[in-house]
Amino acid sequence: MNRKKYQQIRLLVMIFIISIVLVAVIGDNLFLTVIGIGTGVIFLALARCTNEMRADEREITVQEKAARMAYAIFTPSIGIASFLLLLPAKGGFSVLAKGEWLFLEALGLIFAYLSLFLIVVYTISYHFFNRQYGGGSDDKK
Amino acid sequence: MIKNKLKVLRAMTDLTQEQLADQLGVTRQTIIAIENHKYLPSLELAFKMANFFQVDLEEIFNYQNES
Repeated sequence: MNRKKYQQIRLLVMIFIISIVLVAVIGDNLFLTVIGIGTGVIFLALARCTNEMRADEREITVQEKAARMAYAIFTPSIGIASFLLLLPAKGGFSVLAKGEWLFLEALGLIFAYLSLFLIVVYTISYHFFNRQYGGGSDDKK
Repeated sequence: MIKNKLKVLRAMTDLTQEQLADQLGVTRQTIIAIENHKYLPSLELAFKMANFFQVDLEEIFNYQNES
């Protein structure tokens, strides 16, 4: 299977998923949404695995750079957002979380854990790839 | 800066970008990007090109000092 054919299949699957999600949202059926998305993801994974797909190195480079930029933007953003949302006031509550905005403190906590999770995932994957590409070993022969 | 003569070699062999891309196992966009000096190919792809055109690597790519 070449890339063009795979992209055509992917477009068809996406149209299928979007229509399923639309039907599910209109019918207020969360289960159908999950089933639709799950089916689409499994189908695409199978289409990719069972057929030889040409991996283009330029595309991989673009994906790597995009992922790096997304990480570089997203992590500090939610880190700063969580700090602002958890900024303590005199009463022990967040400065921003007052009255009906009390939920903002919980949101700040979620952001804080999310940014920590991202950093942990990044660190683990960094060490994994570093070892895979010959880093970490100190062989002096 | 690394320059390449891919466009010249492709013209000499009378191949289209699509045909060359198929031969090298990449997309046409990659060939366009390499020809326009916007993307540096991996060492593997560079050797594939050299093998395909039956030339040395230096005949396709040459390093030019910017200073």
